[in-house]
Amino acid sequence: MAHHDEAAGKKIRRTLWNVFWLLLGVTIFEVIVGLYASGWGLSKTILKVTFISLTIVKAAYIVMVFMHLKDESKWTKWVILTPYTFFILYLFFMMTVVEGNYALEHRLNGPGKTEHVEATHSAGEHH
Amino acid sequence: MAGSTAELDKQASWDGQSSPMRASYGKLFMWFFLVSDALTFSGFLCAYGFFRHNFAGEWPDPQAVFHHFPFLHGVHLPLMYVGLMTFILIMSSVTMVLAVEAGHRNYRKGVLIWMFLTIIGGLMFVGSQAWEWYNFIKGSDEGAILYKQEMYLYKVDHATHKPIMDILVLHGTELSKEQSAAVIAQGEKFQGANLQHNEYGHIAFADFFFFITGFHGFHVFSGVIINLCIFLMALNGYMQRVGHYEMVEKVGLYWHFVDLVWVFVFTFFYLL
Repeated sequence: MAHHDEAAGKKIRRTLWNVFWLLLGVTIFEVIVGLYASGWGLSKTILKVTFISLTIVKAAYIVMVFMHLKDESKWTKWVILTPYTFFILYLFFMMTVVEGNYALEHRLNGPGKTEHVEATHSAGEHH
Repeated sequence: MAGSTAELDKQASWDGQSSPMRASYGKLFMWFFLVSDALTFSGFLCAYGFFRHNFAGEWPDPQAVFHHFPFLHGVHLPLMYVGLMTFILIMSSVTMVLAVEAGHRNYRKGVLIWMFLTIIGGLMFVGSQAWEWYNFIKGSDEGAILYKQEMYLYKVDHATHKPIMDILVLHGTELSKEQSAAVIAQGEKFQGANLQHNEYGHIAFADFFFFITGFHGFHVFSGVIINLCIFLMALNGYMQRVGHYEMVEKVGLYWHFVDLVWVFVFTFFYLL
């Protein structure tokens, strides 16, 4: 990030304040939806998608404008964003598919059934 | 001014040829640290989501837990206090980025004013979080019933948000009035939450609350300390002597990251 003069600074400050109002507006909108949405008859999925999308929009503005990532070189942007994106996709995959499936299976079969399998297995070892 | 830019370019080239990153060593490694820290927080939030989904039946509704506001005891105001906390943190993020902008103009007075306001904002946020913890640990007036190491919750009336004092709920299953009366007679009243018991529902909710907001709060606290150090260095004229305010920019990255994490904590802990 290079140095800049007063004229350029004025323009930058205007952008920063605009982003502040945007973040504030989105937060107020989220609070209002969070408070009253239960009476609107919207599905939980729509609410979840709305909240998470708005959060990602806020996060993008913070990272790009407040943290000046948009002003960095192309390589810096890639080096920061790519590893994070891949790890987060991996984490999400592990949680929803691998761990989630295990938990679901455990619940469907019930803890009793798991114990039963272990019991017969250990009984088999003795004979 | 030209000299300081040359100084930064020299740093940006590290010890070899010019770097494709065109960023100084210090700034780049602040970014790498933040990426790893972001993964830590992502791990926490993913684990939170997993537990919440797994124990959906006995997971407390955050709006039924965090509905306090200073000086308004007993008034049901969900999301208002945490909305205020979010406002404080976004505000301090703006003052921080304005300090960075003043640094780019080598305007020492501007850096000092905006850094000072950022520190104040950070302290206000940490204070707010302490109050939030205090209320969570202290608990509601009614509390819940602890009987044979199991937490029996009072059923909550959805319209008034008030607990129904003669119907208990165990692990998401409602008890009859007779059973409830027996448990109330033999159990003991438990208020608030700690790492073993939680009057609002599943214990993992309390554990995650203390752990995630605690970890975030400690980041904010560290940020305030680092901001204070940078403020004192700027006050001392150190950046003026070095010729640039890049240290303000680096600590700014950390401070915005703290704000960024809070945006996610706000969504996953309080909104959803």
